[in-house]
Amino acid sequence: MPDNHPQAQIYDSHSGGERPIKVAARDVCVEYNGKQALNHVSIDIPDRSVTAFIGPSGCGKSTFLRCLNRMNDTIEGARVTGSLKIDGREVNDRAVDPVVLRASVGMVFQKPNPFPKSIYDNVAYGPRIHGLALSKNALDGIVETALRKAGLWEEVSDRLADPGTSLSGGQQQRLVIARAIAINPEVILMDEPCSALDPIATAKIEELIDELRENYCIIIVTHSMQQAARVSQKTAFFHMGNLVEFGPTEDIFTNPRDPRTQDYITGRFG
Amino acid sequence: MSVIAIVALAILVMLAGGFYAGRSRAIAAVSGNTVGLHSLPNFHGYYVAIWTGLPAFLLLAAFGLFGSEAVERLTFAELRRDAAALGAQLEQRLDDDARYQALRGEAVQLRGRVSALNEDMERLRSARGDDRQPELLEQLRAEQLDVLNAVTSAEEAVIRRRAELVDGVALEARASGASLHELAGFELVQAPRERRQLFLSDAIQIANGELPSRESEELAAASEIVVRHQTQIRYLVSVIAVIMAAAGLMRTRDQVAPEFRARNHVENLVTALLLLSSVIAILTTVGIVFSLLFESIRFFSTVPVSEFLFGLQWSPQIALRADQVGQSGAFGAVPLFAGTALITLIAMAVAVPIGLLSAIYLSEYAGPRFRATAKPMLEILAGIPTVVYGFFALLTVGPAIRSLFTLLGFDDVVTQSALSAGLVMGIMIIPFISSLSDDVINSVPQTLRDGSYAMGATRSETITRVVMPAALPGIVGAILLAVSRAVGETMIVVMAAGQGANLTANPLESVTTITVQIVMLLTGDQEFDSPKTLSAFALGLVLFAITLVMNVIALRVVQRYREKYD
Repeated sequence: MPDNHPQAQIYDSHSGGERPIKVAARDVCVEYNGKQALNHVSIDIPDRSVTAFIGPSGCGKSTFLRCLNRMNDTIEGARVTGSLKIDGREVNDRAVDPVVLRASVGMVFQKPNPFPKSIYDNVAYGPRIHGLALSKNALDGIVETALRKAGLWEEVSDRLADPGTSLSGGQQQRLVIARAIAINPEVILMDEPCSALDPIATAKIEELIDELRENYCIIIVTHSMQQAARVSQKTAFFHMGNLVEFGPTEDIFTNPRDPRTQDYITGRFG
Repeated sequence: MSVIAIVALAILVMLAGGFYAGRSRAIAAVSGNTVGLHSLPNFHGYYVAIWTGLPAFLLLAAFGLFGSEAVERLTFAELRRDAAALGAQLEQRLDDDARYQALRGEAVQLRGRVSALNEDMERLRSARGDDRQPELLEQLRAEQLDVLNAVTSAEEAVIRRRAELVDGVALEARASGASLHELAGFELVQAPRERRQLFLSDAIQIANGELPSRESEELAAASEIVVRHQTQIRYLVSVIAVIMAAAGLMRTRDQVAPEFRARNHVENLVTALLLLSSVIAILTTVGIVFSLLFESIRFFSTVPVSEFLFGLQWSPQIALRADQVGQSGAFGAVPLFAGTALITLIAMAVAVPIGLLSAIYLSEYAGPRFRATAKPMLEILAGIPTVVYGFFALLTVGPAIRSLFTLLGFDDVVTQSALSAGLVMGIMIIPFISSLSDDVINSVPQTLRDGSYAMGATRSETITRVVMPAALPGIVGAILLAVSRAVGETMIVVMAAGQGANLTANPLESVTTITVQIVMLLTGDQEFDSPKTLSAFALGLVLFAITLVMNVIALRVVQRYREKYD
């Protein structure tokens, strides 16, 4: 684990920090069939760092995550309002093609979901549909780079033709991460990526997240507060559809300002 | 029957009594404090009731199943005993009759000649080079034909002579005042097997009052014996049933005690009942398969398996007489297999694309409201009786195809064609494929679709690259099930495909299928020992084997698919 204590002070939500703002949300609200799931969330998420969303089940953290790549579009009856900008470009707009948006915002889900294809085809899926590789060699290169970045190359380089589902749970999750980074996204969303994994596989994924933060803006939803403390530089606490508190992870866990945050992290409710 | 009905009623009453006896005894055993019982009072009641009623009813059921058979056998045995004297007399007469013996000797000799000729011809046929003598073979064949005819007439003469002697003995016996039982028995024993069966069933029907007894005095006499045996066996069964019920009631009532595990006993009985039901289902299947198998073996003893499976000629004409020239017809089933395959292929060419695409539309694109109406409507197609599809094929599609292709310049297009049958069968099968595929596509986990959308794939990319590959095994299974349905489909092809056993790949010609031929071979009056009729069983066996293999493969494929995603 890297020691992020010395830098913790830099990431103050009010000062804006050293890192540029990647994602800027203003008054984002989400309704599912008229039921309010997210209430006027405004947040600035810095680039090249890990931001953790914590909070009890049903608090809206996953809903907010799904706003960032417009995955709520696939859910019937979902309505998103407010402004959401990535790199200054509005996301929540009819004019934006979600297909193009999702090519720059990768997502990793709770349960590993490799496609019923070979390991190679899983990673090559994105580059193929977006036409990123002009030749077979180029595609091979992209697949190898993505697998190396996901720390999986050593384990699977000799069996790229095996089905993706033949890997273990932790390997599958890293395969899915490799699949996501193969199209070179700018933001990677992770929705409880370790909740279906054992502690050893979890440790590997966390290590990977820490390496990836050098190049990507990573947003992770987690139920494990230890995990949030370990991997993230900033933490946002959601409760009942509201963003209660957002700040450097260090502060949230040692010196929460809101009593609800205090109660949650000390395990008094949740 | 009334005796049995009264006994059944009595047993029912005893059963109800047993329930209350068991129940009240259990309650009394703990003086009303039922908490002290191992099982609830009702279970004690059930236990006693079951052992009161079950054995007795099983006995009655067995009587219902085998009673008439037993009566028939008893009657036959008695009649034969009665006719023993006359039978001996006939044997004596046959031995003494010079003409009968001479005719029999002649028949045996002629038959020996036939087998000698057969051997000669066999030798000539397998001969090579100079030894081959086609003219001689032809000559032998003609001779054999003559001798065969002679054998037939000689055997007929033997049978006629014997019948004369039988009639003589019967007349003398009647004149000398033999009893009717004796005469009936003699007639019965001397009659050929089919006549014997007929005689007995007539006697039983007269005894049951289902036929008027004016047929003959012998029959009336036999029916008296039937009535006597029926009455005896009925009373016997009734008494035994009542005794069994009473014994069951007594014994199990005495078992009732606070610590008696009536609940577990009832549980075991229920388990046994469930087991019995499944065993009945399995045994029925096994029985059907075996009857197919045995009749097929009989068929294959006259027609070689290789000729049946690989022969190109199918014309199972009736052999009017045994040993007739060209009597065996031609039993090469390849035209039937080809016809079945052709129609199935056409049906699949219609059903697979339409069914699959509609399944994709319904599961991936359609809104919930459209889906809620469209899916049941599609499934209505599966509820239309196949006869109705047959009308449709015969009266609408067939003529339409004919006029279309005549317009296009084809000559002699027939109404009953493989194409019309195949098209309509395809329409019939659409709901199978669409409904099964829809289920399979729906069971592809949403996380896979989400994963693909999150990669920036469009809906159609997601369907063709992720959903379809994931659902493929299930879809293959659905298609295989549909194929086995198409292969076994009868009514549409009977009505729309024609009956000509043409070996053709032209969909505009009329073809025939395995199922159509089975229908043709078995409808109407048939004798069940000619190869013509038996070939239906062999066809049935082939059909069964094909659909079985298809279904097994389909289930395997679907199963493996389920394991992967559950």
